[in-house]
Amino acid sequence: MLGLNLPVVIVLAAIGGVLAWRRANTLTWLLYTWVALWAFFKYGFAVPIPQSVATIYLGITGLALVCFASSSRERLSETVQPIVRLILEPRYRLALAGLLVALPALAAYNVYADLNVPLEAPGFGREVHPPPPTEMTVHDETVDMATAENPYLHYKHDDPELYGEHLENGRRVYYENCFWCHGDGMGGDGMFAHGLNPVPSNFNDVGTLPILQSSFVHWRIAKGAPGLPGAGTPWDSMMPAWEKFLTTEEMWDVNLFIYDFNGYEPRALGQH
Amino acid sequence: MAAHARRRARRIATFAAAAVVLVALPASAQVDLGTEEQRAAGKVVYDKYCGQCHGDTGDGNGYATPRVKPKPRDFTTGTYKFRTTPNGMLPTDDDLRRVIEIGAPYTSMPGWPNLTSAEIQNVIYYIKSFSPDFENPDRYGEPIEIPRPLESTEESIARGRVVYEEQGCAACHGEVGRGDGPSAPTLVNDKGDPIKVADLTQRWTYRGGPTKEDIYRTFSTGLNGTPMPSYADSLEIEDRQHLVNYVYSLGNSDEPNYGTLITAVYSEEPIDLQDGETLDALFEAAPTTRFPLVGQITEPGRNFFPSVTSIEAQAVYNRDEIAFRVRWHDLRADTSGRNSPSLEVPMWDEDNGIGDDADDDGGDSDDFFGDFGGEEAPAEDDFFGDSGGDDFFGDGGDDFFGAADAGPPGAEFSDAVALQFPASLAPEGTPELKPYFLYGDSQNPVDLWFVNLTYGVADTFRGRGSESIEPTEADIVEAVTSYDQGEWTVTYKRRRSSRAGVSFAEQQYTPLAFSVWDGFNRERGNKRALSSWFYVYTEPSVQPATTFPIVRAAIIVLLLELLVVFLVRRRARQQAAGDEAAGTTLATTEAPAV
Repeated sequence: MLGLNLPVVIVLAAIGGVLAWRRANTLTWLLYTWVALWAFFKYGFAVPIPQSVATIYLGITGLALVCFASSSRERLSETVQPIVRLILEPRYRLALAGLLVALPALAAYNVYADLNVPLEAPGFGREVHPPPPTEMTVHDETVDMATAENPYLHYKHDDPELYGEHLENGRRVYYENCFWCHGDGMGGDGMFAHGLNPVPSNFNDVGTLPILQSSFVHWRIAKGAPGLPGAGTPWDSMMPAWEKFLTTEEMWDVNLFIYDFNGYEPRALGQH
Repeated sequence: MAAHARRRARRIATFAAAAVVLVALPASAQVDLGTEEQRAAGKVVYDKYCGQCHGDTGDGNGYATPRVKPKPRDFTTGTYKFRTTPNGMLPTDDDLRRVIEIGAPYTSMPGWPNLTSAEIQNVIYYIKSFSPDFENPDRYGEPIEIPRPLESTEESIARGRVVYEEQGCAACHGEVGRGDGPSAPTLVNDKGDPIKVADLTQRWTYRGGPTKEDIYRTFSTGLNGTPMPSYADSLEIEDRQHLVNYVYSLGNSDEPNYGTLITAVYSEEPIDLQDGETLDALFEAAPTTRFPLVGQITEPGRNFFPSVTSIEAQAVYNRDEIAFRVRWHDLRADTSGRNSPSLEVPMWDEDNGIGDDADDDGGDSDDFFGDFGGEEAPAEDDFFGDSGGDDFFGDGGDDFFGAADAGPPGAEFSDAVALQFPASLAPEGTPELKPYFLYGDSQNPVDLWFVNLTYGVADTFRGRGSESIEPTEADIVEAVTSYDQGEWTVTYKRRRSSRAGVSFAEQQYTPLAFSVWDGFNRERGNKRALSSWFYVYTEPSVQPATTFPIVRAAIIVLLLELLVVFLVRRRARQQAAGDEAAGTTLATTEAPAV
């Protein structure tokens, strides 16, 4: 759900609830806020978020918490009072000694862990939906990207039988050519997907087909990886330029089919 | 005593099981074909998600069928591989459900985690309606009981090895389980389609699942319709369990653990390709990374079912030279034919069952390995193509494979491998830029270190796209190759610096990609297994010390702590003194600003 690791989120919320119930002091709240955020970034997402992003957020949050704590003299004294008591009162001597040992140990471990992170291939930014050209030529025909639409889409209402034929042809094209990467269920998880980087497009995703005009999809099908601008890292993508293999009609049919299979409509012309 | 008691117990159990069968079957309690509505609901799901491969009429002949291997199940035959029921029997609903939910790894059958339990049940009812067998109570068998696995002791594994030898498992699966047994190249299923033997060392590719329970199930029920028999009658339960432990011991992971980079380790030693032992010792110290390979399906020569699904790679370097070692499994060494990265493959390669006649169903399986591509003479009934001329295995080869008339003729194309590097690296600080991973492009060429395993030497090519691959001699790349028990090992060496190609500086990430050709699968030219771009990282020759930064961090934190404690206490003392001087006492200590 929402790409979150729900048990972690629930546990964090529960701890917050307990703190509220116990009327925790300001310092505990501040520490809780920061640690809970750290735990949320580290364990709360099903798909891990980049370390650099987490670091930025945690840094900003840390600053905000310090600002909050020092925003007035009263709040500051309220916040640091537990620390002062820990340092001054003889009955906390053992706890203080423990803390004096524990924090350097934590810092040392952190450095150790950083030094032992397994090497990763360098990452790079990639634009998932780079801007298309204003026009392109497919099989000697010029396609105006701003106005082109799937020529068979209107059959859906005008001639459902003919629409069905185009869909069936699109289904044939898809399962003869596309499913190795984009998957039987179109989740971008075909049998070759694990060997590809970038991973194939997931057509189930609400953020992919519905936000694209069918002309954009036609461009991606016809021109494939070699037709991508540099921002789309054309050298890494396995998407073929299907104009080499398929007729224009086949390409529009498969375009029709992937929308229909997922119950989506292409973004209409001029719709933003 | 114990053995006797056990036998007795087993006899009672058998009797009880028989009694259950006797009672259960006449009532045909197992025949559950669902209601009309359930089957109709199942049809809707089937038509959307299953028909494209299994055929809209369930005959295993969908749009994708000619281009996938193994072939999708033909539901009209009632023959199922993955079952808990005895050999030859129909699967239970749970058996079918298991495959639908998790799929069969490294085949075109995916798992369907998004289908609800009810949808799956409905699909099962619909699938069962394709074969009349499911109406016949005699075709149902009691599911076997899968005992808890025995502990993998050395004795158990050793006993399993004995069973492995006695039962002739090696004939197909190979001496050490790499799927390279002498019969491996000849195997077909009951429809006559070539079938690939499981590579027992790569558990993640087991079609029926990687657990000990899965392995036990496969031994005990067999894979219907394939040469994999059931050992339920020939092996005691315990021996099957030992065999499970042996098979399990052949691999070291349920997961392939694919990586994204090779770490090239530094060595002071010279790299001598001719000195096998020293070379092995050098690579012993280098970490091994496994990379996934997939079929090249972007350019003409599309390879829908590559034989090789992964490759392991290592690298070492010294002051002047760098060496790469790659390893992969191949069911036989094809070292008689030709191959080259630029060998022409027809636009519509009939080996893949595609082309103008793909729509008429006849004989797709027959021309699986045949070649109608045009550059070679058609070989109608010839499974493996060329039967004449340069045929290494043709005459003497029969002895090599043991089975005199089942032995396939020699491969026309030889096994081969290539490493691919960019011809130059993008200058530091410029945006990411690499050559096209399919043999480069006109602006950004790649260098290929190609080894045709017939010759075992490295040839270098410069690729500017699939249509433009030229031999080059700018750098000398050496290679040694060996084939042992189903595994190819190729070790390359080159000077680190290059005038025309990429140089391997210390602490540099260099893109690299792999290609593997299996001659047996008629892979050549652009019909190959390939990888995306990965990296090789040349580790610093002098490793930075790790103790110092760790100790430094601890000390800094400790000093900060002590400083805070000191400041707080001093402040408190000053305050106390100040208060005394003022003649007042505070009930609580006021917090100082730290």
